[in-house]
Amino acid sequence: MINFEEELKKFHPSLEVEDAEDAIYNQDLTDMADLLVKMIKESEKKQEEPRGEARNEV
Amino acid sequence: MFCYNCGCVLSEHDFCTACGADVSLYKRIIYVSNMYYNEGLEKADVRDLSGAIVSLRQSLKFNKNNIDARNLLGLVYFESGEVVAALSEWVISKNLRQDKNIADDYIGKLQSNSARLDSINQTIKKYNQALVYCIQGSKDLAVIQLKKVLSLNPRFIRAHQLLALLYMDSEQWERAERELRKCMDIDRNNTQTLRYMREVELMLIPDDNIRQTGGKRKKDETVRYVSDNEMIIQPLNVKEPKNSGVSTLVNIGIGLVIGLAATYFLMVPAARSNAKTEAQKTIQEISNQSDVKTARIKELENEADKLNGRLEELENRLEGYTGEGGTLEAFDRLLQTAAAYLENHDSMATAVELENILQTVDQEDTSEGFQKLYASLLAAIGPELSRTYYDEAFAFFRQEDYEAAIESFEKAVYYDSTSVDALFYLASSCQKSGDAEKAIENYQKLLNLFPDSNRVRETKRNLKELGVTEE
Repeated sequence: MINFEEELKKFHPSLEVEDAEDAIYNQDLTDMADLLVKMIKESEKKQEEPRGEARNEV
Repeated sequence: MFCYNCGCVLSEHDFCTACGADVSLYKRIIYVSNMYYNEGLEKADVRDLSGAIVSLRQSLKFNKNNIDARNLLGLVYFESGEVVAALSEWVISKNLRQDKNIADDYIGKLQSNSARLDSINQTIKKYNQALVYCIQGSKDLAVIQLKKVLSLNPRFIRAHQLLALLYMDSEQWERAERELRKCMDIDRNNTQTLRYMREVELMLIPDDNIRQTGGKRKKDETVRYVSDNEMIIQPLNVKEPKNSGVSTLVNIGIGLVIGLAATYFLMVPAARSNAKTEAQKTIQEISNQSDVKTARIKELENEADKLNGRLEELENRLEGYTGEGGTLEAFDRLLQTAAAYLENHDSMATAVELENILQTVDQEDTSEGFQKLYASLLAAIGPELSRTYYDEAFAFFRQEDYEAAIESFEKAVYYDSTSVDALFYLASSCQKSGDAEKAIENYQKLLNLFPDSNRVRETKRNLKELGVTEE
Protein backbone atom coordinates (compact mmCIF):
# COMPACT_ATOMS: atom_id res chain seq x y z
CA MET A 1 0.00 0.00 0.00
CA ILE A 2 1.39 3.38 -1.01
CA ASN A 3 1.83 5.93 1.77
CA PHE A 4 0.88 9.34 0.53
CA GLU A 5 3.14 11.23 2.90
CA GLU A 6 6.15 9.09 2.06
CA GLU A 7 5.50 9.34 -1.65
CA LEU A 8 5.08 13.11 -1.39
CA LYS A 9 8.61 13.38 -0.03
CA LYS A 10 9.91 12.01 -3.34
CA PHE A 11 8.50 15.00 -5.21
CA HIS A 12 10.76 18.07 -5.28
CA PRO A 13 10.10 21.57 -6.52
CA SER A 14 10.93 21.99 -10.16
CA LEU A 15 13.61 24.45 -11.21
CA GLU A 16 12.26 27.70 -12.55
CA VAL A 17 13.77 29.40 -15.60
CA GLU A 18 15.33 32.12 -13.42
CA ASP A 19 17.18 29.43 -11.48
CA ALA A 20 18.59 27.78 -14.60
CA GLU A 21 21.77 29.91 -14.54
CA ASP A 22 22.65 28.86 -10.99
CA ALA A 23 21.85 25.25 -11.82
CA ILE A 24 24.22 25.35 -14.80
CA TYR A 25 27.06 26.95 -12.80
CA ASN A 26 26.65 24.59 -9.89
CA GLN A 27 26.55 21.46 -12.02
CA ASP A 28 29.46 19.17 -11.35
CA LEU A 29 30.90 18.45 -14.74
CA THR A 30 33.71 16.23 -13.59
CA ASP A 31 33.73 13.01 -15.58
CA MET A 32 35.65 9.76 -15.57
CA ALA A 33 38.03 11.08 -18.23
CA ASP A 34 38.94 14.02 -15.97
CA LEU A 35 39.54 11.66 -13.08
CA LEU A 36 41.70 9.41 -15.26
CA VAL A 37 43.80 12.29 -16.53
CA LYS A 38 44.17 13.55 -12.97
CA MET A 39 45.20 10.12 -11.76
CA ILE A 40 47.70 9.69 -14.59
CA LYS A 41 49.18 13.12 -13.96
CA GLU A 42 49.42 12.46 -10.23
CA SER A 43 51.09 9.10 -10.78
CA GLU A 44 53.53 10.71 -13.25
CA LYS A 45 54.26 13.38 -10.71
CA LYS A 46 54.92 10.78 -8.04
CA GLN A 47 57.24 8.91 -10.37
CA GLU A 48 59.18 12.09 -11.17
CA GLU A 49 59.58 13.19 -7.55
CA PRO A 50 61.80 10.23 -6.36
CA ARG A 51 64.00 10.69 -9.45
CA GLY A 52 64.45 14.35 -8.70
CA GLU A 53 65.32 13.63 -5.06
CA ALA A 54 67.83 11.02 -6.18
CA ARG A 55 69.47 13.46 -8.58
CA ASN A 56 69.69 16.01 -5.80
CA GLU A 57 71.33 13.46 -3.57
CA VAL A 58 73.85 12.73 -6.34
CA MET B 1 38.69 11.33 -30.48
CA PHE B 2 41.40 13.62 -29.19
CA CYS B 3 44.35 13.06 -26.87
CA TYR B 4 43.65 14.24 -23.34
CA ASN B 5 47.26 15.38 -23.03
CA CYS B 6 48.05 17.22 -26.28
CA GLY B 7 44.67 17.40 -28.03
CA CYS B 8 45.84 15.63 -31.18
CA VAL B 9 43.62 13.24 -33.07
CA LEU B 10 44.15 9.71 -31.78
CA SER B 11 44.84 6.76 -34.02
CA GLU B 12 43.97 3.09 -33.59
CA HIS B 13 47.01 2.68 -31.31
CA ASP B 14 46.86 2.76 -27.50
CA PHE B 15 49.20 5.71 -27.34
CA CYS B 16 49.17 9.17 -28.75
CA THR B 17 51.19 9.37 -31.89
CA ALA B 18 51.99 13.00 -31.14
CA CYS B 19 52.96 13.04 -27.46
CA GLY B 20 53.26 9.33 -26.71
CA ALA B 21 50.81 9.38 -23.82
CA ASP B 22 49.10 6.10 -22.91
CA VAL B 23 45.48 6.50 -24.04
CA SER B 24 44.27 2.91 -23.66
CA LEU B 25 42.24 3.59 -20.52
CA TYR B 26 41.07 6.91 -21.88
CA LYS B 27 39.85 5.21 -25.04
CA ARG B 28 37.95 2.63 -22.95
CA ILE B 29 36.25 5.38 -21.02
CA ILE B 30 35.17 7.06 -24.24
CA TYR B 31 33.90 3.74 -25.57
CA VAL B 32 31.84 3.15 -22.43
CA SER B 33 30.42 6.64 -22.72
CA ASN B 34 29.44 5.98 -26.32
CA MET B 35 27.93 2.65 -25.35
CA TYR B 36 25.72 4.31 -22.79
CA TYR B 37 24.79 6.94 -25.35
CA ASN B 38 23.69 4.23 -27.79
CA GLU B 39 21.70 2.55 -25.04
CA GLY B 40 20.05 5.85 -24.16
CA LEU B 41 19.24 6.46 -27.80
CA GLU B 42 17.59 3.04 -28.11
CA LYS B 43 15.55 3.60 -24.96
CA ALA B 44 14.47 7.05 -26.07
CA ASP B 45 13.45 5.53 -29.38
CA VAL B 46 10.97 3.22 -27.65
CA ARG B 47 9.78 6.01 -25.31
CA ASP B 48 11.53 4.62 -22.25
CA LEU B 49 12.44 8.14 -21.23
CA SER B 50 13.42 7.27 -17.66
CA GLY B 51 15.78 4.57 -18.85
CA ALA B 52 17.16 6.90 -21.51
CA ILE B 53 17.85 9.57 -18.88
CA VAL B 54 19.75 7.06 -16.72
CA SER B 55 21.83 5.82 -19.66
CA LEU B 56 22.59 9.30 -21.00
CA ARG B 57 23.59 10.61 -17.58
CA GLN B 58 25.83 7.60 -17.24
CA SER B 59 27.32 8.37 -20.62
CA LEU B 60 28.02 11.95 -19.53
CA LYS B 61 29.62 10.74 -16.32
CA PHE B 62 32.16 8.93 -18.41
CA ASN B 63 32.58 11.69 -20.95
CA LYS B 64 31.20 15.15 -20.29
CA ASN B 65 32.19 16.17 -23.79
CA ASN B 66 29.80 13.68 -25.40
CA ILE B 67 27.76 16.40 -27.07
CA ASP B 68 25.30 14.06 -28.73
CA ALA B 69 24.51 12.41 -25.41
CA ARG B 70 24.05 15.79 -23.74
CA ASN B 71 21.81 17.14 -26.48
CA LEU B 72 19.74 13.95 -26.45
CA LEU B 73 19.46 14.18 -22.66
CA GLY B 74 18.17 17.71 -23.08
CA LEU B 75 15.59 16.49 -25.60
CA VAL B 76 14.45 13.68 -23.31
CA TYR B 77 14.11 16.13 -20.41
CA PHE B 78 12.11 18.45 -22.64
CA GLU B 79 9.82 15.61 -23.71
CA SER B 80 9.13 14.69 -20.11
CA GLY B 81 8.23 18.31 -19.32
CA GLU B 82 11.46 19.21 -17.52
CA VAL B 83 12.16 22.26 -19.62
CA VAL B 84 14.69 23.96 -17.32
CA ALA B 85 16.75 20.79 -17.07
CA ALA B 86 16.67 20.48 -20.86
CA LEU B 87 17.70 24.10 -21.24
CA SER B 88 20.59 23.59 -18.83
CA GLU B 89 21.92 20.61 -20.79
CA TRP B 90 21.70 22.48 -24.08
CA VAL B 91 23.44 25.57 -22.65
CA ILE B 92 26.30 23.42 -21.31
CA SER B 93 26.44 21.60 -24.62
CA LYS B 94 26.69 24.88 -26.49
CA ASN B 95 29.49 26.04 -24.18
CA LEU B 96 31.41 22.85 -24.77
CA ARG B 97 31.07 23.06 -28.53
CA GLN B 98 30.09 26.41 -29.96
CA ASP B 99 30.05 25.52 -33.64
CA LYS B 100 27.89 23.05 -35.48
CA ASN B 101 25.86 22.24 -32.38
CA ILE B 102 22.15 21.44 -32.70
CA ALA B 103 21.64 22.64 -29.11
CA ASP B 104 21.97 26.11 -30.54
CA ASP B 105 18.82 25.52 -32.59
CA TYR B 106 16.92 24.14 -29.62
CA ILE B 107 17.81 27.15 -27.44
CA GLY B 108 17.02 29.51 -30.29
CA LYS B 109 13.57 27.97 -30.79
CA LEU B 110 12.76 28.29 -27.11
CA GLN B 111 14.06 31.84 -26.76
CA SER B 112 12.45 33.10 -29.95
CA ASN B 113 8.99 32.34 -28.57
CA SER B 114 8.91 34.43 -25.39
CA ALA B 115 5.23 33.67 -24.80
CA ARG B 116 5.96 29.95 -24.82
CA LEU B 117 8.88 30.43 -22.43
CA ASP B 118 6.72 32.52 -20.12
CA SER B 119 4.01 29.87 -20.24
CA ILE B 120 6.58 27.19 -19.33
CA ASN B 121 7.77 29.27 -16.39
CA GLN B 122 4.20 29.77 -15.19
CA THR B 123 3.65 26.03 -15.44
CA ILE B 124 6.66 25.33 -13.26
CA LYS B 125 5.58 27.91 -10.69
CA LYS B 126 2.10 26.43 -10.54
CA TYR B 127 3.52 22.96 -10.11
CA ASN B 128 5.69 24.14 -7.22
CA GLN B 129 2.65 25.85 -5.69
CA ALA B 130 0.65 22.64 -6.04
CA LEU B 131 3.43 20.80 -4.24
CA VAL B 132 3.26 23.37 -1.43
CA TYR B 133 -0.51 22.84 -1.23
CA CYS B 134 0.03 19.10 -0.96
CA ILE B 135 2.49 19.54 1.88
CA GLN B 136 0.09 21.92 3.62
CA GLY B 137 -2.74 19.41 3.22
CA SER B 138 -4.80 21.52 0.80
CA LYS B 139 -5.29 18.65 -1.59
CA ASP B 140 -8.29 20.07 -3.43
CA LEU B 141 -6.36 23.22 -4.23
CA ALA B 142 -3.41 21.11 -5.32
CA VAL B 143 -5.63 19.12 -7.69
CA ILE B 144 -7.01 22.33 -9.22
CA GLN B 145 -3.51 23.76 -9.60
CA LEU B 146 -2.18 20.58 -11.18
CA LYS B 147 -5.05 20.49 -13.66
CA LYS B 148 -4.08 24.01 -14.71
CA VAL B 149 -0.44 22.94 -15.02
CA LEU B 150 -1.36 20.00 -17.23
CA SER B 151 -3.63 22.11 -19.39
CA LEU B 152 -0.60 24.32 -20.11
CA ASN B 153 1.96 21.53 -20.37
CA PRO B 154 0.32 18.12 -20.90
CA ARG B 155 3.72 16.35 -21.05
CA PHE B 156 4.78 17.25 -17.50
CA ILE B 157 5.22 13.72 -16.10
CA ARG B 158 5.86 14.78 -12.52
CA ALA B 159 2.62 16.77 -12.48
CA HIS B 160 0.71 13.76 -13.83
CA GLN B 161 2.27 11.55 -11.18
CA LEU B 162 1.50 13.98 -8.37
CA LEU B 163 -2.08 14.34 -9.57
CA ALA B 164 -2.42 10.55 -9.75
CA LEU B 165 -1.05 10.30 -6.22
CA LEU B 166 -3.63 12.82 -5.01
CA TYR B 167 -6.40 10.87 -6.73
CA MET B 168 -5.14 7.67 -5.17
CA ASP B 169 -5.11 9.33 -1.78
CA SER B 170 -8.75 10.31 -2.24
CA GLU B 171 -9.52 6.80 -3.61
CA GLN B 172 -10.47 8.07 -7.04
CA TRP B 173 -8.85 5.09 -8.64
CA GLU B 174 -10.20 5.52 -12.14
CA ARG B 175 -8.99 9.08 -12.37
CA ALA B 176 -5.61 8.05 -10.99
CA GLU B 177 -5.44 5.30 -13.61
CA ARG B 178 -6.27 7.81 -16.34
CA GLU B 179 -3.43 10.09 -15.23
CA LEU B 180 -1.00 7.20 -15.00
CA ARG B 181 -1.98 6.06 -18.49
CA LYS B 182 -1.12 9.54 -19.73
CA CYS B 183 2.26 9.24 -17.95
CA MET B 184 2.86 5.90 -19.64
CA ASP B 185 2.01 7.35 -23.02
CA ILE B 186 4.89 9.79 -22.52
CA ASP B 187 7.29 7.60 -20.58
CA ARG B 188 6.59 3.88 -20.75
CA ASN B 189 9.03 2.62 -18.19
CA ASN B 190 8.94 5.13 -15.37
CA THR B 191 9.39 3.15 -12.17
CA GLN B 192 7.25 5.47 -10.09
CA THR B 193 4.44 5.39 -12.65
CA LEU B 194 4.56 1.61 -12.81
CA ARG B 195 4.46 1.35 -9.02
CA TYR B 196 1.44 3.62 -8.80
CA MET B 197 -0.24 1.78 -11.64
CA ARG B 198 0.17 -1.56 -9.90
CA GLU B 199 -1.47 -0.11 -6.79
CA VAL B 200 -4.33 1.35 -8.82
CA GLU B 201 -4.89 -1.87 -10.73
CA LEU B 202 -5.01 -3.78 -7.47
CA MET B 203 -7.76 -1.50 -6.27
CA LEU B 204 -9.66 -1.61 -9.54
CA ILE B 205 -9.59 -5.42 -10.09
CA PRO B 206 -12.32 -6.76 -7.78
CA ASP B 207 -11.18 -10.40 -7.58
CA ASP B 208 -7.65 -9.58 -6.61
CA ASN B 209 -8.91 -7.06 -4.16
CA ILE B 210 -11.10 -9.65 -2.47
CA ARG B 211 -8.23 -12.05 -2.34
CA GLN B 212 -6.09 -9.46 -0.64
CA THR B 213 -8.73 -8.53 1.89
CA GLY B 214 -9.24 -12.20 2.81
CA GLY B 215 -12.62 -12.55 1.12
CA LYS B 216 -14.31 -10.18 3.48
CA ARG B 217 -16.41 -8.70 0.70
CA LYS B 218 -17.59 -12.01 -0.67
CA LYS B 219 -20.89 -11.59 1.09
CA ASP B 220 -21.42 -8.17 -0.41
CA GLU B 221 -20.47 -9.35 -3.91
CA THR B 222 -19.79 -5.73 -4.74
CA VAL B 223 -16.91 -3.31 -4.68
CA ARG B 224 -17.56 0.15 -3.40
CA TYR B 225 -15.37 3.15 -3.93
CA VAL B 226 -15.81 6.88 -4.11
CA SER B 227 -15.30 8.72 -7.38
CA ASP B 228 -15.66 12.49 -7.04
CA ASN B 229 -18.70 12.90 -4.84
CA GLU B 230 -20.34 9.65 -5.96
CA MET B 231 -20.23 6.25 -4.35
CA ILE B 232 -19.60 3.69 -7.09
CA ILE B 233 -20.96 0.20 -6.38
CA GLN B 234 -19.55 -2.29 -8.84
CA PRO B 235 -20.83 -5.90 -8.88
CA LEU B 236 -18.09 -8.51 -8.57
CA ASN B 237 -19.37 -11.32 -10.71
CA VAL B 238 -20.21 -9.21 -13.66
CA LYS B 239 -17.43 -8.81 -16.17
CA GLU B 240 -17.52 -6.47 -19.04
CA PRO B 241 -17.51 -8.51 -22.22
CA LYS B 242 -14.50 -7.86 -24.36
CA ASN B 243 -15.78 -5.80 -27.22
CA SER B 244 -14.81 -6.92 -30.65
CA GLY B 245 -14.85 -4.52 -33.56
CA VAL B 246 -18.18 -5.88 -34.80
CA SER B 247 -19.89 -5.58 -31.43
CA THR B 248 -18.56 -2.04 -31.11
CA LEU B 249 -20.07 -1.17 -34.46
CA VAL B 250 -23.33 -2.87 -33.47
CA ASN B 251 -23.35 -0.91 -30.21
CA ILE B 252 -22.70 2.34 -32.07
CA GLY B 253 -25.54 1.45 -34.45
CA ILE B 254 -27.89 0.70 -31.56
CA GLY B 255 -26.84 3.95 -29.92
CA LEU B 256 -27.58 5.86 -33.11
CA VAL B 257 -30.98 4.17 -33.46
CA ILE B 258 -31.83 4.96 -29.85
CA GLY B 259 -30.62 8.53 -30.34
CA LEU B 260 -32.75 8.96 -33.46
CA ALA B 261 -35.75 7.37 -31.74
CA ALA B 262 -35.29 9.66 -28.74
CA THR B 263 -35.02 12.63 -31.09
CA TYR B 264 -38.19 11.57 -32.91
CA PHE B 265 -40.23 10.75 -29.80
CA LEU B 266 -39.00 13.55 -27.57
CA MET B 267 -37.85 16.44 -29.70
CA VAL B 268 -40.33 16.23 -32.59
CA PRO B 269 -43.44 16.29 -30.34
CA ALA B 270 -41.86 19.10 -28.35
CA ALA B 271 -41.22 21.03 -31.56
CA ARG B 272 -44.77 20.34 -32.74
CA SER B 273 -46.15 21.39 -29.38
CA ASN B 274 -44.12 24.60 -29.55
CA ALA B 275 -45.38 25.31 -33.07
CA LYS B 276 -48.95 24.61 -31.96
CA THR B 277 -48.55 26.87 -28.94
CA GLU B 278 -47.17 29.61 -31.17
CA ALA B 279 -50.08 29.20 -33.58
CA GLN B 280 -52.56 29.29 -30.70
CA LYS B 281 -50.95 32.44 -29.39
CA THR B 282 -51.24 34.03 -32.82
CA ILE B 283 -54.88 32.96 -33.11
CA GLN B 284 -55.55 34.30 -29.62
CA GLU B 285 -53.96 37.63 -30.54
CA ILE B 286 -55.96 37.85 -33.76
CA SER B 287 -59.12 36.88 -31.88
CA ASN B 288 -58.48 39.59 -29.29
CA GLN B 289 -57.91 42.14 -32.02
CA SER B 290 -61.09 40.96 -33.75
CA ASP B 291 -63.06 41.27 -30.48
CA VAL B 292 -61.80 44.80 -30.01
CA LYS B 293 -62.74 45.69 -33.56
CA THR B 294 -66.15 44.04 -33.23
CA ALA B 295 -66.82 45.99 -30.05
CA ARG B 296 -65.76 49.16 -31.82
CA ILE B 297 -68.04 48.40 -34.75
CA LYS B 298 -70.93 47.75 -32.35
CA GLU B 299 -70.26 51.01 -30.60
CA LEU B 300 -70.13 52.89 -33.90
CA GLU B 301 -73.34 51.19 -35.05
CA ASN B 302 -75.08 52.26 -31.84
CA GLU B 303 -73.79 55.76 -32.34
CA ALA B 304 -75.00 55.70 -35.95
CA ASP B 305 -78.44 54.48 -34.78
CA LYS B 306 -78.59 57.30 -32.24
CA LEU B 307 -77.58 59.82 -34.87
CA ASN B 308 -80.15 58.42 -37.28
CA GLY B 309 -82.82 58.69 -34.56
CA ARG B 310 -81.72 62.21 -33.87
CA LEU B 311 -81.79 62.98 -37.59
CA GLU B 312 -85.27 61.52 -37.89
CA GLU B 313 -86.42 63.53 -34.90
CA LEU B 314 -84.95 66.69 -36.37
CA GLU B 315 -86.53 65.91 -39.72
CA ASN B 316 -89.86 65.42 -37.98
CA ARG B 317 -89.41 68.67 -36.15
CA LEU B 318 -88.50 70.38 -39.38
CA GLU B 319 -91.52 68.79 -40.99
CA GLY B 320 -93.53 70.09 -38.03
CA TYR B 321 -92.29 73.55 -38.77
CA THR B 322 -92.40 73.50 -42.55
CA GLY B 323 -95.00 70.84 -43.46
CA GLU B 324 -98.71 71.04 -43.96
CA GLY B 325 -100.34 72.12 -40.70
CA GLY B 326 -96.87 72.91 -39.34
CA THR B 327 -95.92 75.72 -37.03
CA LEU B 328 -94.79 77.95 -39.82
CA GLU B 329 -98.05 77.47 -41.65
CA ALA B 330 -100.00 78.07 -38.42
CA PHE B 331 -97.91 81.19 -37.79
CA ASP B 332 -98.66 82.33 -41.30
CA ARG B 333 -102.36 81.74 -40.82
CA LEU B 334 -102.24 83.59 -37.48
CA LEU B 335 -100.63 86.57 -39.19
CA GLN B 336 -103.23 86.49 -41.90
CA THR B 337 -106.00 86.29 -39.25
CA ALA B 338 -104.49 89.23 -37.35
CA ALA B 339 -104.25 91.21 -40.59
CA ALA B 340 -107.87 90.39 -41.44
CA TYR B 341 -109.04 91.43 -37.95
CA LEU B 342 -107.18 94.72 -38.15
CA GLU B 343 -108.73 95.32 -41.49
CA ASN B 344 -112.36 94.19 -40.83
CA HIS B 345 -112.73 94.05 -37.00
CA ASP B 346 -114.77 90.88 -37.50
CA SER B 347 -114.45 89.27 -34.10
CA MET B 348 -116.49 86.17 -34.85
CA ALA B 349 -114.59 85.29 -38.01
CA THR B 350 -111.34 85.92 -36.17
CA ALA B 351 -112.48 83.70 -33.31
CA VAL B 352 -113.42 80.91 -35.72
CA GLU B 353 -110.06 81.21 -37.46
CA LEU B 354 -108.21 81.22 -34.15
CA GLU B 355 -110.03 78.06 -33.10
CA ASN B 356 -109.08 76.46 -36.44
CA ILE B 357 -105.44 77.45 -35.97
CA LEU B 358 -105.41 76.08 -32.44
CA GLN B 359 -106.69 72.74 -33.69
CA THR B 360 -103.77 72.36 -36.13
CA VAL B 361 -100.94 73.10 -33.65
CA ASP B 362 -100.10 72.45 -30.08
CA GLN B 363 -99.75 75.86 -28.54
CA GLU B 364 -96.92 74.71 -26.31
CA ASP B 365 -94.81 73.77 -29.34
CA THR B 366 -95.19 77.20 -30.86
CA SER B 367 -92.75 80.05 -30.49
CA GLU B 368 -93.00 82.84 -27.93
CA GLY B 369 -93.91 85.34 -30.66
CA PHE B 370 -96.71 83.11 -31.89
CA GLN B 371 -98.08 82.75 -28.37
CA LYS B 372 -97.86 86.52 -27.71
CA LEU B 373 -99.60 87.36 -30.99
CA TYR B 374 -102.25 84.73 -30.34
CA ALA B 375 -102.82 86.06 -26.80
CA SER B 376 -102.95 89.69 -28.01
CA LEU B 377 -105.43 88.83 -30.74
CA LEU B 378 -107.54 86.87 -28.32
CA ALA B 379 -107.45 89.79 -25.82
CA ALA B 380 -108.50 92.18 -28.58
CA ILE B 381 -111.50 90.17 -29.71
CA GLY B 382 -112.22 88.62 -26.26
CA PRO B 383 -114.62 91.17 -24.64
CA GLU B 384 -116.70 91.66 -27.75
CA LEU B 385 -116.90 87.98 -28.45
CA SER B 386 -117.66 87.25 -24.79
CA ARG B 387 -120.54 89.68 -24.91
CA THR B 388 -121.90 88.01 -28.00
CA TYR B 389 -121.71 84.56 -26.42
CA TYR B 390 -123.13 85.98 -23.15
CA ASP B 391 -126.19 87.37 -24.96
CA GLU B 392 -126.70 84.13 -26.81
CA ALA B 393 -126.31 82.13 -23.61
CA PHE B 394 -128.65 84.36 -21.64
CA ALA B 395 -131.33 83.81 -24.32
CA PHE B 396 -130.91 80.03 -23.87
CA PHE B 397 -131.03 80.52 -20.09
CA ARG B 398 -134.37 82.29 -20.32
CA GLN B 399 -135.69 79.56 -22.54
CA GLU B 400 -134.44 77.15 -19.82
CA ASP B 401 -132.24 75.42 -22.38
CA TYR B 402 -129.50 75.05 -19.84
CA GLU B 403 -127.28 72.73 -21.83
CA ALA B 404 -126.93 75.24 -24.66
CA ALA B 405 -126.69 78.04 -22.11
CA ILE B 406 -123.79 76.28 -20.34
CA GLU B 407 -121.92 75.87 -23.61
CA SER B 408 -122.30 79.52 -24.53
CA PHE B 409 -121.54 80.80 -21.02
CA GLU B 410 -118.36 78.72 -21.02
CA LYS B 411 -117.29 80.41 -24.25
CA ALA B 412 -118.19 83.82 -22.80
CA VAL B 413 -116.03 83.07 -19.71
CA TYR B 414 -113.26 81.75 -21.94
CA TYR B 415 -113.11 84.93 -24.03
CA ASP B 416 -113.51 87.28 -21.05
CA SER B 417 -112.40 85.82 -17.80
CA THR B 418 -113.31 89.10 -15.99
CA SER B 419 -117.01 88.72 -16.80
CA VAL B 420 -118.57 88.06 -13.35
CA ASP B 421 -122.08 87.72 -14.75
CA ALA B 422 -121.04 85.12 -17.31
CA LEU B 423 -119.38 83.09 -14.56
CA PHE B 424 -122.39 83.48 -12.24
CA TYR B 425 -124.87 82.37 -14.86
CA LEU B 426 -122.66 79.51 -15.91
CA ALA B 427 -122.77 78.26 -12.32
CA SER B 428 -126.49 78.95 -12.11
CA SER B 429 -127.11 77.06 -15.39
CA CYS B 430 -125.16 74.12 -14.02
CA GLN B 431 -127.23 74.25 -10.81
CA LYS B 432 -130.45 74.33 -12.74
CA SER B 433 -129.38 71.56 -15.07
CA GLY B 434 -128.67 69.41 -11.97
CA ASP B 435 -124.87 69.43 -12.24
CA ALA B 436 -124.35 70.49 -8.62
CA GLU B 437 -120.66 69.68 -8.55
CA LYS B 438 -119.83 71.90 -11.51
CA ALA B 439 -122.15 74.59 -10.14
CA ILE B 440 -120.34 74.61 -6.75
CA GLU B 441 -116.99 74.75 -8.53
CA ASN B 442 -117.97 77.81 -10.56
CA TYR B 443 -119.58 79.55 -7.58
CA GLN B 444 -116.49 79.07 -5.51
CA LYS B 445 -114.33 80.30 -8.37
CA LEU B 446 -116.44 83.44 -8.48
CA LEU B 447 -116.06 83.98 -4.72
CA ASN B 448 -112.32 83.55 -4.99
CA LEU B 449 -111.78 85.75 -8.05
CA PHE B 450 -114.34 88.45 -7.37
CA PRO B 451 -114.98 88.57 -3.61
CA ASP B 452 -116.24 92.19 -3.79
CA SER B 453 -118.65 91.84 -6.70
CA ASN B 454 -122.39 92.34 -6.49
CA ARG B 455 -123.02 88.64 -7.26
CA VAL B 456 -121.45 87.48 -3.98
CA ARG B 457 -124.65 87.45 -1.90
CA GLU B 458 -126.56 85.51 -4.54
CA THR B 459 -123.69 83.13 -4.95
CA LYS B 460 -123.54 82.41 -1.25
CA ARG B 461 -127.31 81.87 -1.12
CA ASN B 462 -127.17 79.44 -4.04
CA LEU B 463 -124.27 77.61 -2.43
CA LYS B 464 -126.34 77.35 0.73
CA GLU B 465 -129.11 75.87 -1.32
CA LEU B 466 -126.67 73.38 -2.73
CA GLY B 467 -125.73 72.43 0.85
CA VAL B 468 -122.38 74.22 0.94
CA THR B 469 -121.99 76.12 4.19
CA GLU B 470 -119.63 79.02 4.45
CA GLU B 471 -116.79 78.40 6.78
